[in-house]
Amino acid sequence: MNFLTIFARNLRQGPQTEAFPLGPAFTPERLRGRIEFKAESCEGCRICERVCPANAIRFAKTPDGMTFDCWHNTCVFCGNCEFYCPTDAIHQTNDWDLTHVNADKFEMVEHGLIPNQKCADCGATALNTAPVIKNAKPPLSDAEYAELRARCPKCRAKYLKNRKVPS
Amino acid sequence: MGLIPDFKKIATRSPWLYRINAGSCNGCDVEMATTALIPRYDVERLGCQYCGSPKHADIVLISGPLTVRVKDAVLRMFDEIPEPKVTVAVGVCPISGGIFRESYAVLAPIDQYIPIDVNVPGCPPRPQAIIAGVAKAIEIWRERL
Ligand code: SF4
Ligand code: SF4
Ligand code: SF4
Repeated sequence: MNFLTIFARNLRQGPQTEAFPLGPAFTPERLRGRIEFKAESCEGCRICERVCPANAIRFAKTPDGMTFDCWHNTCVFCGNCEFYCPTDAIHQTNDWDLTHVNADKFEMVEHGLIPNQKCADCGATALNTAPVIKNAKPPLSDAEYAELRARCPKCRAKYLKNRKVPS
Repeated sequence: MGLIPDFKKIATRSPWLYRINAGSCNGCDVEMATTALIPRYDVERLGCQYCGSPKHADIVLISGPLTVRVKDAVLRMFDEIPEPKVTVAVGVCPISGGIFRESYAVLAPIDQYIPIDVNVPGCPPRPQAIIAGVAKAIEIWRERL
């Protein structure tokens, strides 16, 4: 009689086959898929480029700043870059549908630019990266953060050193 | 004579799928087998089925970075597949070399040797992505008939 219970269950539940591509596919929340890059929160440390086993990430210096490129067609979705990124600027989304025709092969790129800026103190040209403030005590206010960010690395160090710490 | 082109439009034909392992690590092949064999994904819903001989094939799924050692065998097999054929590169290996890129032992990207139509990146791509690739390949194949 076992087959009858199975039959009844199947009638009730319907087929186990996923509807995709005729319907939405089940996608786990934390599926390791396409890489996403947020230039605003990148520190420019280039650790992600170093730890990427497939050399999918490449930074390049251009007249406008530093560009970030991640080629999805050589990325192996290991998540190393996200794991080592100190600021969560690089993030692995759960987007897995990267199927494309071969003509678009080299367009499957996540591109970002960390622009150049003029330092608010000394006027030197430097990258507008996110400042490293993990160890700053007490934590910076939003206004302080903006001031710090507008400076070049040397002036940032000076700014943090001269910061008045209320005791 | 006038009837034949119309027939081609009306009759939706069903392609045979064929797999070539061009030196893959087996990850992509397992996913391709999963796509076909377990009811949860069931690629045969799209009206296609795996076949055992390159001479019957219409859509070729290639995995692996084309190692130096299998190159001749793969090219010979690819030539045996009758036209019109549609090629799907499964995994990042055939597309760019993936994790094996720039190794002395692989000849990736495979499109230097074999014309590729659809790419399915992933290492390995999940079965749904392979199904999406096959669906795209069937579209292209119907146009080519
Ligand atoms: S994305 Fe993260 S790891 Fe990569 S350079 Fe920016 S901060 Fe560093
Ligand atoms: S997920 Fe892995 S392979 Fe992809 S870009 Fe990040 S480190 Fe590189
Ligand atoms: S793409 Fe990844 S899983 Fe597929 S054959 Fe290459 S290394 Fe293996």
